[in-house]
Amino acid sequence: MTLRLSRISKHFGTTVALDGVSFSAIPGEVHALLGENGAGKSTLMDIAYGMIRPEAGMIEVQQRGGVALATPAFASPREARAAGIGMVHQHFTSIPAFTVSENIALTAGWTETGRAAERRAAHIVARLGLPLAISAHVESLSAQMRQRLEIVKALATDASILLLDEPTAVLAPREVHELLEFLRGFAAAGGIAVLITHKLDEVFRVADRVTVLRRGVVTLTGVLAEQTPHSLAHAMIGADLARPIPLKAQPGVVAVEASRLSLTRGGQLAVVNASFQVRSGEIVGVAAIEGNGQRELLRAIAGVDDVVTVAGTLEVAGPVAFIPEDRSSEALIPSFSLAENLLLGTLDQSSWWLDWNAIRRDTQALLASHDIRAGGPESQAATLSGGNQQKLVFARALARQPRVIVAENPVRGLDIQAADMIQERIRAAARNGAAVIMHSSDVDEVLALADRVLVLRRGEVQDLPSDPTREQIGDALLAMAAAR
Amino acid sequence: MIDSALLVGFAAASVRVGTPLALAAVGESIAERSGMINLGIEGAMLAGAFGAAVGAAHGGVASGVGAAVVAGLLVATVFAAVAVAARADQIISGTAVTLGATGLTGLLAQRAFTGGNLSLPILPVVHVPVIEHIPLVGPVFFRQTVLTYACYVLIPLASALLWRTRFGLELRACGEAPAAATAAGVHVGRTRALAVLMGGACAGLAGAALVLAQVGMFTERMTAGRGFIAIAIVALGRWNPWGTAAAALLFGGATALQYTFQAAGSHVPYQLFLALPYLLALAALGMAVGRHRGPAALGQSH
Repeated sequence: MTLRLSRISKHFGTTVALDGVSFSAIPGEVHALLGENGAGKSTLMDIAYGMIRPEAGMIEVQQRGGVALATPAFASPREARAAGIGMVHQHFTSIPAFTVSENIALTAGWTETGRAAERRAAHIVARLGLPLAISAHVESLSAQMRQRLEIVKALATDASILLLDEPTAVLAPREVHELLEFLRGFAAAGGIAVLITHKLDEVFRVADRVTVLRRGVVTLTGVLAEQTPHSLAHAMIGADLARPIPLKAQPGVVAVEASRLSLTRGGQLAVVNASFQVRSGEIVGVAAIEGNGQRELLRAIAGVDDVVTVAGTLEVAGPVAFIPEDRSSEALIPSFSLAENLLLGTLDQSSWWLDWNAIRRDTQALLASHDIRAGGPESQAATLSGGNQQKLVFARALARQPRVIVAENPVRGLDIQAADMIQERIRAAARNGAAVIMHSSDVDEVLALADRVLVLRRGEVQDLPSDPTREQIGDALLAMAAAR
Repeated sequence: MIDSALLVGFAAASVRVGTPLALAAVGESIAERSGMINLGIEGAMLAGAFGAAVGAAHGGVASGVGAAVVAGLLVATVFAAVAVAARADQIISGTAVTLGATGLTGLLAQRAFTGGNLSLPILPVVHVPVIEHIPLVGPVFFRQTVLTYACYVLIPLASALLWRTRFGLELRACGEAPAAATAAGVHVGRTRALAVLMGGACAGLAGAALVLAQVGMFTERMTAGRGFIAIAIVALGRWNPWGTAAAALLFGGATALQYTFQAAGSHVPYQLFLALPYLLALAALGMAVGRHRGPAALGQSH
């Protein structure tokens, strides 16, 4: 049985998620699909599992008996399962109030219920060698057991191709080991396991072959034995290895100062012992892989989320402007008018009475001066394109004349032209004296914009030489400094 | 032939009966715009009615109105503490608050009015000079009690609060997208708590209107679901104080129909008329509201 995806392309709005990607996996292998956030890994696997329809390309599954199935797209996960493909999603998809066997029966489409379903589930669990409490309610299970259930569900319909989307994110180290052992065994028995990950060490522990995606194109594919951690990291993060990052700014006074700062969110330690400064006139880029404390750090500086300082100090000069990453749920209220959205984010609270004529005039002027293409002050924010929405968010932020600007993924989802314009605005704000601290999950964006880079891993600021190369930043991101 | 005196009487009764509904619904529309659906306003209204009776019995109608507002605020404070501060489920907290207020006012009423205290002072009908003589409009709208006039003031005030003030903008942001409001620096919890308290004060006033302008006494469970009707009115009025007032008048009319038909000596069973406002509430919710969306974050804790 072979899985082959040929020249798959997919756009989301103006963003290219996949651009002519080809991928193939053969029986007996664990195939790692590696890439940064937003590289297109999950999109590619969602296409293979019939969750997303590609715009171009072909999906081929070669059955054991030589029967070939070729289709431009699976219409649904049900079709993909019928072709022998199972998927373990990044987020659990089981129903917490149901029992283990009820969840398996639901996914596999069994007609049995109750005892009969439990017997059948027990049989499958034994065959797969993945012990599970069949009659337990899912809500009572640990994260590891819940994930085991996801795997059992994926394989309950006799799938021989197993797609796993970042399955180790929720697991403790010992549990990771058990999962990787299972995948090795599954492949040894003739199955195909495709493992989506951004963790290099897991790739080296388990994979036979590897495919690296970067910004929707394959940058590397081949036998793992021929690769080194550096060759993979560079395929992930980009070429242009030794270029030092020029110091662009003439920094002024300190506007943000963190000293031995530790932060928790919801009781979880997110940032540990971080010390750094951001001066007016400079752009500091925070590079980090998703979930390494960057969100909490930025939000603590912006003062917007329920992040708790448990140790150290954080001093921020006001006013602070915050540009949240989610335009449609945090930055803007889609059902509000442009004028209302602008008002909401402005710091001027001296006038409690709203003079709508003046507000409409001001809004109109701001739309014109920031080149925001919209119907007018009364149009709903939802009617704007992503680029124009982000321009509105920036116009609003700058209207506060902030001393500090905090931006999360400021150009995510924008087309190149809009992204350039936003980046130019951030630079202009820094030139005018704002201290800017920004994060992007795309390292290239951080490097393109930042005067200085701060790498966060597991909530800790990583040591970097004073003029780090991309290579050194990549190593710090992926925890390979020690391996050098 | 429709008697014009009968028609004016019916319309005036609609306004009188609609007043408590409008007061409660305008307050609730403020709370709901902030994202809080408060089923506890039935309880707040009942507490207001009780407060009005006790206050009026001891210190006259002005004390009655004051005590009603305080009682409404107290009940709303409980709801705000549970549903805003402790982030409990709004539907369950509101129901619990109403049940609690029902039990408590019943218990206290047995103590307060043991001797069958029936001599409550009631609010006089105030004739507004000159405009009371405008045909139809005058006798219908301007021969009412001071609480109805308060309602006339409250409706534009609430509307201005929501759409003309910065606080109103922030309040509506809490109801549409609490995350965005937080990111903009709005204190969502505080804003929602204030909105709930405003709703509670209005519900208290509604209770006062029921006792001091309509019934003239307090009895257990006398609100009889008017608070819940007010919630339906808010939806029918599309979360807008003016629309809410119009919807309240419609429900007032449905209730007043009963009196008018009885006065006219109709043989239709009176229970049918008693049920009319509730049937209207269901029909209104099914027809008009289904197509209109309320605040996006209504009922979501933050």
